[in-house]
Amino acid sequence: MTPTGEAVEEEATRARLRRGLRVATLLVALAIVAGLGLANLLRHLDEYGTPLAQVAALGLLVAVLAGEAALLVRRRSWGRLRLPAVAVVLAASLLSYATLPDGRTSTTVDWIFGAANWVGVVVLLDRPLRVTVSFLLAHELTALLNVLVLHEPSRAALARFATGSVTVIGFPLCVAVVAGLLHGLSAAAAASRAEIERVRVAEAVAAESHRRRQQRFAELSATTIPLLEGLADGSLRPEDPQVQRRSAIEAARMRRLFAETDTVADPLLHELRHCVDVADRRGVVVELDTRGQWPAPPLAVRRDLTEAVVVMLATAASKARVTVTGVAGLVSVSVVADCGEVGVPSPATPGVRVEALHDDDTVWMEAQWQATT
Amino acid sequence: MAGDDLITAVIVDDHTAIAAGVRFWCAEAVPPIELIDAGDRLAEVWTGPGAGADVVIFDLELVPRRPDFGELRRLVDNGRRVIVYSQHTDDATAMKCVDLGALAYLTKREGPEHLVPAIRAAARGEPYTGPSLSGAIIADDSPDRPRLSQRETEVLRAWFVSSSKDLVAAKLNITVKTVDTYITRVRIKYANAGRAARTKSELVGRALDDGVITLAELNEPVL
Repeated sequence: MTPTGEAVEEEATRARLRRGLRVATLLVALAIVAGLGLANLLRHLDEYGTPLAQVAALGLLVAVLAGEAALLVRRRSWGRLRLPAVAVVLAASLLSYATLPDGRTSTTVDWIFGAANWVGVVVLLDRPLRVTVSFLLAHELTALLNVLVLHEPSRAALARFATGSVTVIGFPLCVAVVAGLLHGLSAAAAASRAEIERVRVAEAVAAESHRRRQQRFAELSATTIPLLEGLADGSLRPEDPQVQRRSAIEAARMRRLFAETDTVADPLLHELRHCVDVADRRGVVVELDTRGQWPAPPLAVRRDLTEAVVVMLATAASKARVTVTGVAGLVSVSVVADCGEVGVPSPATPGVRVEALHDDDTVWMEAQWQATT
Repeated sequence: MAGDDLITAVIVDDHTAIAAGVRFWCAEAVPPIELIDAGDRLAEVWTGPGAGADVVIFDLELVPRRPDFGELRRLVDNGRRVIVYSQHTDDATAMKCVDLGALAYLTKREGPEHLVPAIRAAARGEPYTGPSLSGAIIADDSPDRPRLSQRETEVLRAWFVSSSKDLVAAKLNITVKTVDTYITRVRIKYANAGRAARTKSELVGRALDDGVITLAELNEPVL
């Protein structure tokens, strides 16, 4: 299996696990609210000051659970609706506690104490643990305030409240912790996957640069290496004009080779400037003039277009004129120089045409390439 | 002023080295050209010895980055024969000067081999098209440009890239005189387009008289 295939498989497994947990939590919450909560509510309906308020509170909780069911089916999360949903749950609690009969907190009459907590956990399941804990504490606080403010806080009532809290906080917290663990595992897995990806990219880049360096070396080996070897073993004399000429050509080729990997807007002109620079250093006055526009030709075409410039500038005696024109997709690199007899380079790519004209010492070479648009 | 008389030119350029260089080229020319140096004082082109000069060599940017097209238009409208001599090579400026009626637009990279023939041509009321202006014309893609024949474009392009009429003639298998004719025809077409100016209408009139171009060719629709 490919690395990405593995990652996709892992991600799918984690998604299934998270979804399973969501479904299970929803079912638990539904059973508690619609089963236990509703049963207790109906059983004590005549004890409440305003029974309608209790029914409305239950309705709000069921509505939130229905929302979660709808989102689950559409495989979506709460997103921006999460805060309003939590507010609805807390509002249901406040509504229920406001109309709770005296001294009934944490009894079966207080059906919402053990129901709203689950609904809140359902909404906050994929949030960090501290968010769920904050909600559960807010829920506890609502019930506690009810005991302290609205009713007589008897020792028995507080003891009942404390025992009730163990289940009210404890069980949902367990679910939240498991969800948090799952969440953390996913995050860690994603981070390590990104790291593996980064290392693989770095390896690929290194391999590619190595390949390109070897390729460049191979390209130079045909012409530059024999020259250097000849100079080293003394078979070529540096004072020989022919050797000097070959050296100048190789210097320009190397400059062009180095310029080829630069990221520039106009690679053709960039490489030409490097070729011109070599001649400049030899004291040849070079005019470089351009007109029109041209697309960036492929590397092989650029080499064919600039080869005449490389050869001629290396051998020019005093001055040269290099021009690039791009009119109607026809890219032309022209060079006029006083370089006497010079071989006409033959282009390697079929689309490039090279023409040469000799007039006494002046040579005019033009390489043209028609860009297909 | 025409014929074998001594040609006089006045140069307006704030760089003394440029004026001195041009003076040397004019003195070396055969026959020599008399040069009046107006420095950066445009007034000396209108009064004194400068007012009678056959040709005005005009530095378009006496104030850096503010080409003085207005002064160029005033000179042309008064029948002066102007060579714009600029350090800039941008095509839009060159085409604008041609449109305003300058007989030549040369960049300061173009030396005596172009400036001296340009002065002689301007003294006769004829245009001179240097390589850089040729380049500007072939790269011109404005919607109202005149329609050029394929051969005219070929000649202009070859003149721009080679900077040698001998090479153009050898490459295209024509004579140097024919090369000149093609280049002149292009300038006539441009003189016939755009803004009306005395120097431009004189050019067109003379070209029609000499048969360099026909009325039908001049009236060809724009591309």
